[in-house]
Amino acid sequence: MKSTFFLIVFAAYAGAADKLDFNRDIRPILSDNCFACHGFDAKKRKADLRLDLPQGAYAVNDGVQAVKPGDPEGSELIRRILSKDPEEIMPTPESHKKLTPAQIGTLRRWIAEGAAYRKHWSFEPPSRPPVPGGGEGLGPIDAFLREELAKHGLKPSPEADRERLIRRATLDLTGLPPTPAEVDAFLADSAPGAYERVVERLLGSVRYGEHMARGWLDAARYADTHGLHLDNERSMWPYRDWVVQAFNENLPFDKFTTWQLAGDLLPNPTREQRVASGFNRCNVTTSEGGSINDELLFRYAVDRTETAMGVWMGLTAGCAVCHDHKFDPVTTKEFYSLYAFYYSAADPGFDGNILLTPPVLQLASPEQEKTLKEFDVRIAARQKAVRDAIVSLKYVDPATLTPPPPVRTGETVWFEDAFPAKAKVGVAGGPTTFVEAGQGPVHSGKRALKRTAKGVAQDYFANGASFVIPPNGVISVWTYLDPADLPKSIMLQFHVGGWNHRAFWGEEGAIPFGKVRTPEKVNMGKLPEAGKWTQLKVDIAKLGLKPGMKVDGFAFTQFDGTVTWDRLAISHRIDEAKDLQWSFKVWSEKKQGSRVAELPTDLQNLVRGKKAAQWTEAERKRLLDWWLENEFQGGRETLDGLRAEKLAEESRRKALADQIPATLVMADLPQPRQAHVMTRGQYDKPGEPVTRGVPAAFHPLPKKETYDRRDLAEWFLSPANPLTARVTVNRLWQQFFGTGLVKTSGDFGSQGDPPSHPELLDWLAVEFRETGWDVKRLIRSFVTSAAYRQSAAATPEMLAKDPENRLLARGPRSRLDAEVIRDQALFVSGLLSPRVGGKGVKPYQPDNVWEPVGFTGSNTARYVRDSGEALYRRSLYTFWKRTAPPPSMTAFDAPAREASCVRRERSNTPLQALALMNDVQHVEAARAFAQRILKEGGPSDGARAAFAWRTAVGRRPRAEETAVTLGALAAHRARYVAKPEDAKKLVAFGDSKPDPALPADELAAWTLTAGLLLNLDETLNR
Amino acid sequence: MRCSGSTPLASRRDFLARAGLGVGSAALAHLLGGCTTAPASSASGGLPGLPHFAPKARRVICLFQSGGPSHLDLLDPKPELERQFDKDLPDSIRRGQRITGMVASQARLACQPSRFKFTRHGKAGTEFSELIPHIAGIADDICVIRSMHTEAINHDPAITFFQTGSQLPGRPSMGAWTDYGLGRMNDDLPSFVVLVSTNKDRSGQGLLARLWGSGFLPSAHQGVQFRSAGEPVLYLRDHDGMTRERRGALVGAANELNRIHLAAAGDPETAARIAQAEMAYRMQASVPELMDLSREDKATLESYGPDVGAPGSFARNCLLARRLAEKGVRFIQLYHRDWDHHGGLHDQLPKMARDVDQPAAALVRDLKRRGMLEDTLVIWGGEFGRTPYAQGGANREKYGRDHHGKAFSIWMAGGGIRGGMVHGASDAFGFNAEQDPVHIHDLQATILHCLGVDHERLTYRFQGRQFRLTDVHGKVVKAVLA
Repeated sequence: MKSTFFLIVFAAYAGAADKLDFNRDIRPILSDNCFACHGFDAKKRKADLRLDLPQGAYAVNDGVQAVKPGDPEGSELIRRILSKDPEEIMPTPESHKKLTPAQIGTLRRWIAEGAAYRKHWSFEPPSRPPVPGGGEGLGPIDAFLREELAKHGLKPSPEADRERLIRRATLDLTGLPPTPAEVDAFLADSAPGAYERVVERLLGSVRYGEHMARGWLDAARYADTHGLHLDNERSMWPYRDWVVQAFNENLPFDKFTTWQLAGDLLPNPTREQRVASGFNRCNVTTSEGGSINDELLFRYAVDRTETAMGVWMGLTAGCAVCHDHKFDPVTTKEFYSLYAFYYSAADPGFDGNILLTPPVLQLASPEQEKTLKEFDVRIAARQKAVRDAIVSLKYVDPATLTPPPPVRTGETVWFEDAFPAKAKVGVAGGPTTFVEAGQGPVHSGKRALKRTAKGVAQDYFANGASFVIPPNGVISVWTYLDPADLPKSIMLQFHVGGWNHRAFWGEEGAIPFGKVRTPEKVNMGKLPEAGKWTQLKVDIAKLGLKPGMKVDGFAFTQFDGTVTWDRLAISHRIDEAKDLQWSFKVWSEKKQGSRVAELPTDLQNLVRGKKAAQWTEAERKRLLDWWLENEFQGGRETLDGLRAEKLAEESRRKALADQIPATLVMADLPQPRQAHVMTRGQYDKPGEPVTRGVPAAFHPLPKKETYDRRDLAEWFLSPANPLTARVTVNRLWQQFFGTGLVKTSGDFGSQGDPPSHPELLDWLAVEFRETGWDVKRLIRSFVTSAAYRQSAAATPEMLAKDPENRLLARGPRSRLDAEVIRDQALFVSGLLSPRVGGKGVKPYQPDNVWEPVGFTGSNTARYVRDSGEALYRRSLYTFWKRTAPPPSMTAFDAPAREASCVRRERSNTPLQALALMNDVQHVEAARAFAQRILKEGGPSDGARAAFAWRTAVGRRPRAEETAVTLGALAAHRARYVAKPEDAKKLVAFGDSKPDPALPADELAAWTLTAGLLLNLDETLNR
Repeated sequence: MRCSGSTPLASRRDFLARAGLGVGSAALAHLLGGCTTAPASSASGGLPGLPHFAPKARRVICLFQSGGPSHLDLLDPKPELERQFDKDLPDSIRRGQRITGMVASQARLACQPSRFKFTRHGKAGTEFSELIPHIAGIADDICVIRSMHTEAINHDPAITFFQTGSQLPGRPSMGAWTDYGLGRMNDDLPSFVVLVSTNKDRSGQGLLARLWGSGFLPSAHQGVQFRSAGEPVLYLRDHDGMTRERRGALVGAANELNRIHLAAAGDPETAARIAQAEMAYRMQASVPELMDLSREDKATLESYGPDVGAPGSFARNCLLARRLAEKGVRFIQLYHRDWDHHGGLHDQLPKMARDVDQPAAALVRDLKRRGMLEDTLVIWGGEFGRTPYAQGGANREKYGRDHHGKAFSIWMAGGGIRGGMVHGASDAFGFNAEQDPVHIHDLQATILHCLGVDHERLTYRFQGRQFRLTDVHGKVVKAVLA
């Protein structure tokens, strides 16, 4: 409805004065009503007529001319529009489109004026227009804006008062409100340039980069999970931190672009450049069982192409996946030429549901890197030793022997009555206690290990004794849980170089060690029945323990409760003729057709795709060698020691590598894949082969043999590129002024809205490019403009003339983004942690948000909330699970991050009201804010109310506002004095503790008052 | 409206009178209507000109069966598979159709008959499997479509396709489209409500919030999930130490301050926020009331089966669906999971059917008894069916089936649909939709048609083109209309 308003304003203006402009006045009408059948898409074109080009429109066919310049009555187009005959009338009745009388009048006038065509405005490179004169001391931005305002009979508003101005600038530049001290300093600074000094301070704040990064991460579709099917965790956060850093260091936008599109391809890329290339890896991926590899590769390349074209050029190239773009000059073939830049990416179709789907970059410190290299050398040497030994092995498949070798069984006891003799036993909790029969339950032997705990406690050793893992091992332990004092969870842990192998029973979140759904933390199900001895068994394969590994420590761990442990042992049973680890034949038969993740890729494909009978001798030999080296458990006398050494080294390497952060990065395959036009966008219908290239309607790539993503980045950044600079300044304009100069900031094509101020947009684009793509400089020019500094108060006249404030006769006003709303509450309350960067955190979230949508096999199926400081980090650092994003964010229109998004909605819903009322993070923030009010706000209610207003809303309250605030406070106070138990409950909400020195009823009354201020419309807007 | 004299909140009309903008009330109402979200009022929101024609259905209850229920063992009997037991699926039937990665390496595709008996029911003698006797019992009220087909062969894309008309994430769901197009019919509840049931034996099929998302439509149109565990609506329950009266006072004070601000700054969004806070306050009462089944009579409760007592069960959600329908919720979307029987179908399918059969039939009967079936459209079905060949080997007793989108079955009832009929047919193997095929987009077009909406004319401009639920496809299936 609002946009209709605006168009009417526009059309009225166009009608009044100048000559019609094709791009502003005519193309939208033709594009909406005619191009679907008479446009760019050759396949859908009717009557062989195209109206998107003058040659087509002016052409005479069988004596009929669609558009006869200067002669509306002689133009078939007008005749058909006016026709009453349903066979003739255009647009056709089936299209459900209808031209308004005003549109018909405009078309008529256009033909009368000569029917001039122009290329779609945004496809012509911008040139710097002259800045309008007339305004005394106005900067270019204001000069352009004032000229347009005058045409519409509107006047700019006066400058906002300083309190509102500094609040607006601070929220816009840092995502946080100003402190009362900052406001006071600004109010007191009467020297010229006071506001500019505030802006410089804000641009220099580390908060600036965090705030700016948020918007870019929407465009980059950044998240902390893969996004499809299991939606497991993915490690991408170093890329997020790089974006923050890039904004803070004011990395010029051309570098910012090149590094992200092609950082991996630059000569000797730096760590930052490679991390930045992770932009290309932010798309959603899957490892769902039934998927088809080709289809996944196709989809990822499509997503990457669409995202790049959308983010840098504002083009909706996705339409051309299936058919020639109906409105914009991107043919299907051209789309796939762009897609070819991405189709050779080295990452696999199946993401493997793992944290680090290759290619990845380990972000090790120099010392860590050195140690890792040393490990690699040693592992390679051990590997070679194993390989050499295999050559001497004369392998006979036991499955081929008659009679088959006998079945062997055995058991080794690891713990009975005591820890191993030389083990150095440690504890968490009270001292290690053994009980004898009579003192407590004992299952076997003389004694059992018993512990009563609050929280996590354990008995363990990791030094002094070791045990070798047998093949087919099954670990068993006896436990007795006290029915009167149940634990939340019990756990067995095994140390092989590091603590990497754990089995637990009971609640997943209780004992915090290990990554869930990995061998580091294997869920074995419910707790055993209490009040009786139960033998728990764990298959070594489940824990990632391999035969030959040396276990040099174990731990008995529990959370709460009283637990008795007895007799830990490992048993094995070997039937060589039927065993995957003795018989290559059995292994081949069992594994054929499935994906064996441990195999190198080519062997993986062999085993998966080809029946054993069809393997060539050479293929069989390679596989057998691999199997002997890695799986075969016979020939112990030859291999055992060697393999154990290798496994031990690998285990130690893993323990180190796990501490090193890593991130997904981009890389291309050494041999590019051939890209094809995919017929009708179907992955299994490859048509004509294509090479890398760009759409012909735009400037060409320089002549070269081959192209890669670097060339694409340069093409985006070329002065001949009509879109990149415009799209970028527009997106930033939108961030600061609420709406872009082109409202459809994601679509600059012919279906997008025309710019409200075309000359201003072009001036800004050229200026931005020619001054070195300096982002801070551009933003400085926005926020120091008079337009930005105006009062936002709207009069009915302004609302009627320009409801969306496109003309900026008043200052920008809009609701804060989801993250800013939460961060502001934390900041005002004093809870916000200033820490920058790092792995995503899990703050408060209602129960049952992840759980109902999650697959039980997913490692993000259950939300285990963090505690302490992690609850109070900026929202930028909240762990982002794509299939169930944080509800406190999505309620305020944060996108799910499944696809690129350059413009958020701003909805206004009852769910937002509920979240602000009852979300524990808002209630706790209100409590903490109330504590500040009581301690810092002065002695009287009036002084405290003023302090609260200044801190939350950024200004002093008016008398009537003070009256309402104090009235509410008095009512709350009376109620809480009468019901002190309610007051205690309220102030105890949340993890942080209320100040015990403050009386609960007073604190409760102020908590509600503080919450009231945090929820005001004015507080939620800027 | 539930605003009684004692509440501190002003009604919308009071607010309009008191807001104190220097414009007439008609202009102000217009400004309010122009907000991203229309404030609460009867039948508010929606697009001008909609519905396009007189609707047969005023609301929809979609009982979505996620995972791909086997049409061959429930709704579409195939005696030919009995004759072809363990023989290869003929190439003339398969026609090069792609198969999933899960059976791609299987040596052969062996025909697998159903081990379950089918018998005829209702005036038309429609055949139903012995696993769904209650649904068979409403044969005269429902229309079984045996010629459904879809394009996707994996869950995630196929469910997304069913719910949003596209295999890729990012499009609005059916419920979001109807809310966008038709607006709301009640003051106290969201217009698009989602209920996800949990299974007794949960195998772990995931469901993604985007399935009820609003895609590129304003987020106010997204479905609101009423949850079975914890609070029914997020953040609904007042926090500790809060009472209804205090909450009312707080909302009242906040809105008093917001009105002062509205008068000073003049932004219509402030007015919308005032209205939404009041709606939130009303929902705090209306939603718990809705979830409270204590006033349902015993016979009704029993008709939904023994699970109705368990929060989060399909039975409970069916009953809640009826209650939501009564309150004027436009689109009620249920999800029931775990129909994905690659193996062990013989064992698992009867359990799944037992969970679903009685409650689904009870819902239709309950609606009918209350005179609501004629204007409530009920849909039962999943994202695809299952293969006529076995996954693994064919077996008389124990078997499994893979995903299959070329032919499957659903049923519909009420709201403009002709009961007691079968529409379309699959081939003798149940592999291809042979007679009167119904594509997912056709189904979507038909659902919108029942609501009085021409699917080609309910569009939204995004990224440069007019999008619709049915993309550029979809034909209303006239034959199933009453």
